[in-house]
Amino acid sequence: MTSRNNDFSVDQFNRRQVLTAAAAAGAGALAGGLPFAVRAATPPTLVTSIRSLSNPYHAVWKIGADAFAKAIGMPNVTLVTEANSEKGISDIKAMIAKTGSNMVLSVDPNNTPDARPIVEACFKAKVYVVTWWNKPADLHPWDFDPYYISHIEFDGVTNGAYISDQLFKAMGDEGGFVAVGGILSDSAAIDRRKGLMAELKKHPKIELLDFQTGDWQSQKAFDITSSWLTRFGDKIKGVWAANDSMGTGVLEALRAQGLAGKVPVVGIDGIPAAVQAVKAGEFVCTTTSDPYWQGGIGLSIPLQALQGKFDPAKEQKLHREFNAQTVKVTRDNVADYIKNNVDSHPNIDWNNLWDRVASPIVYD
Amino acid sequence: MALASQSAPPEAGADSQVRTPRTKHSRAPGGGGSVWRARLLEFGPLLVLIALCLCLGALNPSFFSFRNLVWGLANSAAIPLILAMGATFIILMGSIDLSVEGVLSVGATIVVLLCINDSNANNFGWWGPLLAIAACTALGFLNGFVHVVLRIPSFMATLGLWFVGLGIGTVALGGSAVRVLDPHIRALAFERVLAFPLPVWFAAAAFLFALFLERRTRFGRYVYAIGGGEDIAELSGVPVKRTRILAFTLAGFFTGLAAVLAVAQLGQANTTIADGRMFMTVTAVVVGGTALTGGWGGVGNSLVGVLIVQVLANGMVLLGVSPYVHEAVQGLMIIAAVALSIRRGGSLMIK
Repeated sequence: MTSRNNDFSVDQFNRRQVLTAAAAAGAGALAGGLPFAVRAATPPTLVTSIRSLSNPYHAVWKIGADAFAKAIGMPNVTLVTEANSEKGISDIKAMIAKTGSNMVLSVDPNNTPDARPIVEACFKAKVYVVTWWNKPADLHPWDFDPYYISHIEFDGVTNGAYISDQLFKAMGDEGGFVAVGGILSDSAAIDRRKGLMAELKKHPKIELLDFQTGDWQSQKAFDITSSWLTRFGDKIKGVWAANDSMGTGVLEALRAQGLAGKVPVVGIDGIPAAVQAVKAGEFVCTTTSDPYWQGGIGLSIPLQALQGKFDPAKEQKLHREFNAQTVKVTRDNVADYIKNNVDSHPNIDWNNLWDRVASPIVYD
Repeated sequence: MALASQSAPPEAGADSQVRTPRTKHSRAPGGGGSVWRARLLEFGPLLVLIALCLCLGALNPSFFSFRNLVWGLANSAAIPLILAMGATFIILMGSIDLSVEGVLSVGATIVVLLCINDSNANNFGWWGPLLAIAACTALGFLNGFVHVVLRIPSFMATLGLWFVGLGIGTVALGGSAVRVLDPHIRALAFERVLAFPLPVWFAAAAFLFALFLERRTRFGRYVYAIGGGEDIAELSGVPVKRTRILAFTLAGFFTGLAAVLAVAQLGQANTTIADGRMFMTVTAVVVGGTALTGGWGGVGNSLVGVLIVQVLANGMVLLGVSPYVHEAVQGLMIIAAVALSIRRGGSLMIK
């Protein structure tokens, strides 16, 4: 921070710049100049940065983060980007300044390119950070040792293939089905569709009647399904949805025409309505990345690094960049899932940092 | 359409501005050809709709099947039509309402949280939907009040309320999706009368109500007067402020009705329940031939507009058009509709 002083050449000085420089120098002195022992006396702030609280996924994420913070008795803050990259990045920088770098960060960057400035700011301020979902392919945790600990995603291809397999089994491995995908340019939508197509090749008696996009929205999926029922009628033996929001829209359109429970539906995300539909026998399955776990573990990993419990630089590469396991909800385990995850919150061992590591991230 | 025969010839209509909306044809340029041109402008959207239906019917006969007409078209068009009814009056005044999604999500939130649901123990029965409609109407009033009394352009006032609405929904629902379990609410979407599900009847009622307001009340006349020229309307003694507030309140009411039906249809409410509604509503109104500049068009146009948008969406699925093409087609449709409907000769500037 103090290095900013060097950027001012003499002729550019005016009153505001002098004051800014003085403030920056003062903040720098407070943050960096004081002995480490004094700083460590106050517990670090656990910071989570996510898109918004108006979607169920990130709402549960925050509940998980809050639960973890409460369990260990440390202050935590949730920042929301509201889908605004500038806001997301500057809020994090402001937080670093406010806490004097005495914080850890778990961030779901609003957009892929955002990860770089966030990670660089953390590295410079010596803040341990974990990123989720979005980062450029050439940005790697081991290039920012030890502060950029891990980048975690969930493999959409595997997920898309898994629910396809479940759907095809429920259809008796033959007949036609329709599929409704997410926003075409969305990477999660592309991956899930890729998984569907790969699985489809393994089942020659299954026919994909049509693929449409519902832009992740319930209502669109509802309308598309209504039209599909006209076009294909009884030929539709199953519906594949790239997320549960659309899946439940599909289900309600089927229900309107007396087909709920007769035509199996699959989705991804594990939203409560879909879980209940699995229980009712209307959905075959749904999978979830378990945002409750993401909220807690995303803070636990950098906190343990800050507390010196492990050295990120010495961790194996698979722990630095990986796809995590998803939780699968099927007819077999739905009763337990509802008991542990819907009616209450699961008892997760937050010290078990790496038990959900599934596979390395592959770039293509 | 019924009134069209009563309207004065376009050339004479310029002076009797408030009598009938059709007099706005007089803005069309040219001499003898202007009557035909005006007729084309008036019925253009309807011709487009008929042509679309015939094409789709020829390409896929199941388009005209009873199942498709009921579920693929009528039922899907119900909520967009109700929303378009409110938006029509506002656009006729030359204003815009961007708050649809926020207001709708507030309405949906109220229905879901007051009726039997999987989040709390409330069971207020029919008070749920009634209060939801009342709350949306109040938000509509607030839109008009902020716009008129605080003198903020409708664009900004309603933009603000859009986010206020989303915020209220987010706080009340805690960001999650809450399912409605009240069988009476679900029945609103699934109960059938004469083979058509209830939402279709609600939409028909909303249309007739809006048509009555447009054709048979002072309010309807005032809206056209304001859209045609606010300063002249004001000088002529039209209660501009009251009419404006009333139009926004009315839009709130229709949005509330749409919110109840949306919850009934989807069986759940979340903050994003209304995503994409605002764009679709404005698209439908404009495609129907109502001018964004105000003063020309009407709820009949909006009915045609909503049907065009729905037929196109339905038709693209029926024909199996690649999803990559869908949005492009929608965009082209808007440009074509505006190009057809705008009376460029009348204005000095194309912004």
